[in-house]
Amino acid sequence: MIRRIFLITTLLATLGACTKDFEKINVNPNTPSSVPLDYLLSQSTLYIPGSAGDPGYKAWRANFIYASTVIQQMSSVEVGFYRGTVYTYQGDLSEAYFVNSYPNSVKNLVNLITLAKADPKNVNILSMARILRVVEMAILTDLYGDVPYREAGLGFLEGIFSPKYDAQKDIYADMLKELDESIKAFNAGSYIPKTADFLYAGDLEKWKRGANSLMLRLAMRMQKVDPAAAQSWAKKAIDGGIMASNDDTFAIKFSNTGAGTNSNANSWNLGAGRGIANGNNIQWSKTFIDAMKARKDPRLTVVSALKNGDRTVARQRGIPPGTDPTVLKTLDETNLDNYSRVAPNMYLLENPFFIMTHAEARLLKAEAIERGWATGNAKAEFDAGQMAGVKQLTSYGGVIPDAEAAAYNTANPYPAAGSLDDKMNAIHTEMWLITGTTLNHIEGWSNWRRTGYPKLTPVNYPGNETNGQIPRRLRYPQGEPGINPNIQEAITRQGPDLFTTRVWWDKQ
Amino acid sequence: MKTNLLILRVIFLSLLSTLSLAQTVEVRGRVTEDGQGTAINGANVLIKGTTRGTLTNDKGEYTIQVQKGATLKFSSIGFVAKEAVVGNSTTIDVALTSEETTLNEVVVTALGIRKEKKALGYSVSEVKGEELVQARTVNLANNLQGRVAGLNVANTATGPGGSARIIIRGNGSISGNNQPLIVVDGTPINNDNLGSAGMWGGGDSGDGISSLNPDEIETISVLKGATAAALYGSRASNGAILVTTKGGKANRGIGVEVNSNYVAEDLLIKRFKDYQYEYGMGSNGIKPTTITEAMTSNSWGARLDGSPTIQFDGQLRPYSAVKDNLTNFYRTGSTFTNSVALTGATENITYRLSMNDLNNKSIIPNSGLRRNNFALNLNANLGRNLSIVTNVKYILEKTKNRPRLSDSPGSATYAVNAMPTSLGVVALEGSQFNPDGSEKVWSDNIYIQNPYVAAYNWKQEDKKGRVIGVIEPRYNITDWLYVRGRLGFDNFNYRSLTITPYGTPFQLRGGMSVNNRNFTETNLEVLLGLNRKFGDAFGVNVLLGGNLMKQVYQNSSYGGSNFNIPFFYDISNIDPAARSLSENYIEKRINSVFGSAEFSYNSYLFVTATARNDWFSTLSPANNSILYPSVGASFVVSEAFKLPNFLNYLKLRASWAQAGGDTDPYNLSLYYGLAGAHLGAPLAQINGDRVPNSNLQPLTSTTSEAGLEARVFNNRLGIDFAVYNRKTTNDIVGATISNTSGYNSALFNVGEIANRGIELLLNYRVATSRDFSWDASFNMGYNKSEVVSLYGDLKTLRVDENRTRIAYIHQDVGLPYSQVKGFTYKRDAAGNVVYDSQGYPMQGNLVNFGTGVAPTTLGLNNSFRYKGVGLSFLIDGKFGAVIYSGTNAYANNRGLLNTTLEGRETGIVGQGVNEKGEPNTVRVPAQQYYQRLFNIADPFVYSADFLKLRQVIIDYTLPARIYARTPFKGISVSLVGRNLAILMKHTPNIDPESTYNNTNAQGLELAGVPPTRSMGLNVNLKF
Repeated sequence: MIRRIFLITTLLATLGACTKDFEKINVNPNTPSSVPLDYLLSQSTLYIPGSAGDPGYKAWRANFIYASTVIQQMSSVEVGFYRGTVYTYQGDLSEAYFVNSYPNSVKNLVNLITLAKADPKNVNILSMARILRVVEMAILTDLYGDVPYREAGLGFLEGIFSPKYDAQKDIYADMLKELDESIKAFNAGSYIPKTADFLYAGDLEKWKRGANSLMLRLAMRMQKVDPAAAQSWAKKAIDGGIMASNDDTFAIKFSNTGAGTNSNANSWNLGAGRGIANGNNIQWSKTFIDAMKARKDPRLTVVSALKNGDRTVARQRGIPPGTDPTVLKTLDETNLDNYSRVAPNMYLLENPFFIMTHAEARLLKAEAIERGWATGNAKAEFDAGQMAGVKQLTSYGGVIPDAEAAAYNTANPYPAAGSLDDKMNAIHTEMWLITGTTLNHIEGWSNWRRTGYPKLTPVNYPGNETNGQIPRRLRYPQGEPGINPNIQEAITRQGPDLFTTRVWWDKQ
Repeated sequence: MKTNLLILRVIFLSLLSTLSLAQTVEVRGRVTEDGQGTAINGANVLIKGTTRGTLTNDKGEYTIQVQKGATLKFSSIGFVAKEAVVGNSTTIDVALTSEETTLNEVVVTALGIRKEKKALGYSVSEVKGEELVQARTVNLANNLQGRVAGLNVANTATGPGGSARIIIRGNGSISGNNQPLIVVDGTPINNDNLGSAGMWGGGDSGDGISSLNPDEIETISVLKGATAAALYGSRASNGAILVTTKGGKANRGIGVEVNSNYVAEDLLIKRFKDYQYEYGMGSNGIKPTTITEAMTSNSWGARLDGSPTIQFDGQLRPYSAVKDNLTNFYRTGSTFTNSVALTGATENITYRLSMNDLNNKSIIPNSGLRRNNFALNLNANLGRNLSIVTNVKYILEKTKNRPRLSDSPGSATYAVNAMPTSLGVVALEGSQFNPDGSEKVWSDNIYIQNPYVAAYNWKQEDKKGRVIGVIEPRYNITDWLYVRGRLGFDNFNYRSLTITPYGTPFQLRGGMSVNNRNFTETNLEVLLGLNRKFGDAFGVNVLLGGNLMKQVYQNSSYGGSNFNIPFFYDISNIDPAARSLSENYIEKRINSVFGSAEFSYNSYLFVTATARNDWFSTLSPANNSILYPSVGASFVVSEAFKLPNFLNYLKLRASWAQAGGDTDPYNLSLYYGLAGAHLGAPLAQINGDRVPNSNLQPLTSTTSEAGLEARVFNNRLGIDFAVYNRKTTNDIVGATISNTSGYNSALFNVGEIANRGIELLLNYRVATSRDFSWDASFNMGYNKSEVVSLYGDLKTLRVDENRTRIAYIHQDVGLPYSQVKGFTYKRDAAGNVVYDSQGYPMQGNLVNFGTGVAPTTLGLNNSFRYKGVGLSFLIDGKFGAVIYSGTNAYANNRGLLNTTLEGRETGIVGQGVNEKGEPNTVRVPAQQYYQRLFNIADPFVYSADFLKLRQVIIDYTLPARIYARTPFKGISVSLVGRNLAILMKHTPNIDPESTYNNTNAQGLELAGVPPTRSMGLNVNLKF
């Protein structure tokens, strides 16, 4: 009896002690603890245009709903949804880029940078990741102003749960330094990722020209607020060598597998995924179509079509900004089917996603020359840029013969003898057309804010948030103040969290 | 155990008795339940001083040969024994009093140990199975609401298939589990919610307790908190609910019980009482004249004039208010439940076999639930000292189209709520598709469905097969020492299929996903029990045991978007590259050793101490072991001292316990997710959006409680009072953090949460006589929660957010749990609302509106009985919580609320000042004014207080003489009703209880399935 009790008690006591397998049991068998850096480079590249889960999430909201309509490249009668058309605010639309980028692209790039730094042989991955981080951070700060930068994406690596908001001034300074260091660090003798590089397939020289062009873009953005820094960085970029042909265009390549991951985010929204082009949800703006018609822009028939596919120039018609369904009734044409929208070739899933075209780099160089920040022939740069912009549409299957591009350039000549304003108007009207026809509306909005060209007539729709002025930024996520007190510092420094508050570089 | 031995003995003795040839008379009679008149089946009739006796049959009748002058002793489990002397009469009818009103009540406690209630140092409440079967709920948990003091049950606004949130003594954890452990016949079962809606929508996929069949339940024992449940260790920090199912009975022959229940369910609120019905669809005060204008969910149009007006489909229909959209869209739902149970016994085995079929149709068209329960209970006595209890249950549950809640995609409810004043669902029913078969959009928001398409073309089906079983051998080593083993398992297989149809406006080529889950938990427990008396006064009751728990979750899913062939829904119809596939294996273990010792003195003083040590696989070896102690004492004053006559019973009790909990597997380190490939390059990213934490420690929940139980005035008034103090420290929290950190949440051990409260139960037998009785029972609980401290300097933590992105749930230091937080008006120092230069109200700071979890819950039950007819009704209520209504915020935005009528014609000059401090004089159009209010939470936060007429039952037990010559042994019929009326509420248009999920963030509402009432009939036949 006693022995039985003893046995049972011993058995009980040993039950609990058998915990030596526990550590092994608690290792997740479904997900690896480390992966090749190439895998991370490729995914974080895709996270810049795309979004996890819904590939078109942030592009739809930031690029189309706000940016494209705010600067009248596009327009929508659905003013309750495409709110940029009438300058009204909806939290989840305004914040989409912000809340989607940090947990996806920013986090993964920051992590990749940390991992790549650990081994010198990964220097090329490191440079690519640093440049891509600048690309994403530049969009974020241009859209919102002061944003978390230095402390962003470090929740795991450094346990920072409430990152500080950096002043845009400091963000710009650091982004330029990052580009400079990354370009210098590229090393043809080290490992070069090829299939995982969706921009240049491992061509380091193109990377350098691309990164120098991005440097030029950032430099020119500071033109009003800090001309000295703008000048020195523009010069450095141009001296380093900017993009020289459309082959150098900084764009992410996609493919048509049907999967969201492989799809161009803009195409996903306009076509296969969301169908907003053919659904009459968003269409070209009257301002944009009229400008193209007036300039006899050969791109018009590539980018624009009526619902029935008609691309006849004479029948292209844009929606006047601020048109709601009631105003639509008063127009000559009341059927949305007969208004121009983005043509189907523009939204094939495999189309490249443009971040910066060769054409833009050349036009910015022309501006730098005019401002005396670089040497060269401004007109030559302008002509090259303007024609490159037309030819860029080859990427959308719109092969425009060289002669037509040249004719367009002749019809819209560079005002070499004109005032600086005339020149800026010429350069930046073309920039507006390039960003519009490459669906890079966010960049179009930033460039327009700095330069004010082309001149746009704002609309004053009832209930708008800006007192009838074109918005100067997007508003922060409403969720931030409750969980990240650091946002207060940004608001104090930058001004109230409104559409009308200007970001640092957007000087009056 | 005791019961079974007793029954066996009696059977044996009754066999002997037939051999007796002494000079005797034959006595007959009937044993019934006092006050009820119902027969007691299997009652013992024993000739006192001998070992001879018999059992009653299922009509309560007995026959016994006995000598005149002998004493018969009548007894039955659950009743007070009675004696009668055999005189001249050969008929002796006896009415036994239920033990419920007596002192030696036995309850089920932790690990399934039955104990005398008076020995307990903590509070336990029992609910009898029969209380749950007449006015039944599809999810059993909802039927507990209002019945147990301090039990706070909330159910998701999704109709019958949804989950319930059961909270005892407040929420102890911010993001961890706050629900009690559910134990069925000794086996812990998985009560996880298998899917819930969040701010972006989704559906509630039910939980574990919802699968149980109320017909099978003997009792539900609610162990309120760690003091009662300490022996369950880490898993019982929130208390435990012990479900004991019915076993076999020593019937003569096979007992058959058939129960049928049919209830019809319809809308409690037939139309939105606080919507406006004066202005029609359109914007800016204009009546639509084109299809484009008519495609809107706005009711900011012109004054309704009945004139033919164009709608989204190009048809002209009267510009008039449509008031019957709710009744036109929702149908009358129903639940038809049939069950059969067989019970019986042989010499060594008692058994019960039951089957149940439940067929539910939801009020949402094309939605419903079917459930089949099978259960077998076997109790075998193998020899003198060995017995084995075996319980097996199989449950098959199929659900069709669980309603989507919260955000609009796929939600019929959202769409019906959003419909403009002058648009009827009939028009939407008649025009659902474009010529190409894609869904026809009716508003300017492609995410709002046609409700009929949402109901009939979207799919959300699931099927769950579940086996719960336990094998429990027990061997009595001596009469005071035994060993008990128990192997319990809970396994379910779950498969769900979700289809977004081809032609959905925001996902043109549709999509699908299939999810298969297999969950198994096994518990192997060994227990050594010692129960000994020393002399007359001292008793010792010791338990020692160990348990091995293993949980394995296997989850595989596949799916994708973009079907190639329209309307053909199979994974093969999606490009391989667009398919996603995932496989998960999740394992968790807890090893435990435990012990308990109870010392009693003169059966009025009891002291119990327990300890349990748990080792967790989910925490790092440095932190994975923790000891949970408890002590408790009970003193039955009325047995120790002579008390005044009116005080029949008085017991004081006190206890203290620590319990705790761990975290989910794989939370300690960072992992990568592999995500297919792009242009030949594999893709990977950091997995998950939560910061892992390798230093997590087990949380600790410490509870102390004191209470008293008393019966006064001839036991007519019963009082049970408890006061408790519960403190959780080192809570493991997955808190929302700024996603600029790269993550949406982080896991860490945070400070301290306190819950203090009282529980009160009053039973009063108002009237009792032979023909009439009236029992009233009142229970209430009050729980004051406070987040005492958080992590480091952190003062606030976000746990959830509403789809409107204006209101949140936070945990704030110094405030009660689950604060509803939102943006308020911008105000100047004098409190005036500040308007911008264009005349619109400005958004101010984030403020707290109150807790979303009601601190006060109460229930009042009255039951009357006159002869065979009974009437009972239950009123329950909750007080002290607030709710933010997304439904009303959107309805305001769309011009649907009656509060948006003011200023429609004239515009509005907001009362307040401009930014310069001058009175605001700018007149703005009504639509734009009210739409600005969307950015402010104040107008849509309401008190969530309510009182409901939860349940009414009228039952009638047919007198036995009516069916005396039939095979029937008992017939009863009842009329039942649930949720018949909301007696008090403050929330326009919505049910104050509405919530779209049962997570820890309570206090947010959006587009729940509207509240319903149900009425029906229950028929119970025994033969």
